[in-house]
Amino acid sequence: MTDLARGGRKRRKVVRARTGPGTHDCGGDDQRNGDPMGREAILTRTFVELADTLVADFDVVELLTLVADRCVEALDVGAAGLMLAAPDGDLRVMASSSDAMRLLELFELQSQEGPCLDCYRSGQPEMDQDLGANNGRWPTFAAEALAAGFHSVNALPMRLRGELIGALNLFHVDAGEMQQVDVDAAQALADVATIAILQHRAALEADALNDQLNYALKSRIVIEQAKGIVGGRKGVDMEQAFTTLRNHARSHNLRLTDVARDVINGTLSATALDGPTLRRKPSHAPHLRCGGGEHSSPQTG
Amino acid sequence: MSGAGIMLMFGDVAQGSVCTTNEVSRLIEDLQCSLGEGPCIDAHNEDRPVLEPDLAAPITPRWLAFTGPAVEAGVRAVFGFPLQLGAIRLGALNLYRDRPGTLSREQHADALVMADVAAQAILVLQSAAAPGELARALEDNADFQFVVHQASGMVSVQLEVTVGEALVRLRAFAFGNDRPLVEVARDVVARSLRFDEQNDEKDP
Repeated sequence: MTDLARGGRKRRKVVRARTGPGTHDCGGDDQRNGDPMGREAILTRTFVELADTLVADFDVVELLTLVADRCVEALDVGAAGLMLAAPDGDLRVMASSSDAMRLLELFELQSQEGPCLDCYRSGQPEMDQDLGANNGRWPTFAAEALAAGFHSVNALPMRLRGELIGALNLFHVDAGEMQQVDVDAAQALADVATIAILQHRAALEADALNDQLNYALKSRIVIEQAKGIVGGRKGVDMEQAFTTLRNHARSHNLRLTDVARDVINGTLSATALDGPTLRRKPSHAPHLRCGGGEHSSPQTG
Repeated sequence: MSGAGIMLMFGDVAQGSVCTTNEVSRLIEDLQCSLGEGPCIDAHNEDRPVLEPDLAAPITPRWLAFTGPAVEAGVRAVFGFPLQLGAIRLGALNLYRDRPGTLSREQHADALVMADVAAQAILVLQSAAAPGELARALEDNADFQFVVHQASGMVSVQLEVTVGEALVRLRAFAFGNDRPLVEVARDVVARSLRFDEQNDEKDP
């Protein structure tokens, strides 16, 4: 076999050494011989680990790398990678079971052609059981995959209900059909990752909306306070006070909130604002001004 | 339940009422906004439901300023449920009843769900807004008592104090004269009440 396929297997051992000291000596061949206990134990542990990443500091790449690593470790898979759709709709490699350049290129190639792209477009699992056969759907991709030592490929959708966010890509050293139990297990891993990502995204959106709401309300309050100050200083009503503030912001190319804040903290004098210093006083004056009028109306002169 | 309302809060400050079902629940929210104390404010600050099944004869008296006017308005039991989504805290759902008594387990569960739905709904409403602006749906239907902030600005001019201090003076005046803060604020903005005069009169 080629270097890359072996590299994938080697990587598997590295991953084990990292995650569980007691397990790194049992090579990948045990799984290929069909050691269901080993696989189920790894899968169970993986789901626990995935659940754990949901509550701890959530890192999308870490989560997806875990899924890729475990696909290789627990399922009969040579290499695995996850691609997510960027906002522009293009698929990007987010995680891979190996950092081998050729493998990464295989993933990247699929932004143009390949099972991941088709899977992302169709929302259905895609596969090629024999990349060496000449009737393949993805000629460029198949040639590159074969050159890297892979003879069959599966792509599983990452979707929750209507929402499709990417695909899980599985490469196999041998040609042939992937066992259904393995496909199901891989899909389950992809599903957990999908739910985690969508939930994380929803939480971020809610956070952003809350910040926005908070900010909007705060700026609004600042503006209302400044209206009161302008109204008090210039003797205009609230609407005229607002117009004054807004005109000043516009003519000086400033943000309304900043103008309002300057008025409140005194860096901008309310009486110095251009705009209608309307003399509404006469109608109100007898009633209003008996107390401390001299304080507040330096503009009456 | 006799009535319900939803209050928005940011930081420790009650910002206003998103909706209320009747005059009494409106008063409950006004009181809390004016006085800065009450079940919603505690629920929001403490991140948990705050239940007072017998406001007129509570086991542990709390909310000294809030309780009197609320009981007088006919509130006998009052409950605050925080509006939150994960770490986001938006305010509180406020429920009241005109007779004392605890919430049934089912009512309690329903209130939690309602608070959840309300929190989501508020964010969904806000998602329609332009950046930096309040969503129209919120602005039109909610009562953020902007007049209070306008009045703070005016009073700060009259007394030559900061707007923060002006707000404290407004609150103190409303409380001391047994009037709703919003009403006092409206008078200030309409220029039928001045604080420089009022203070002269009130200071003994």
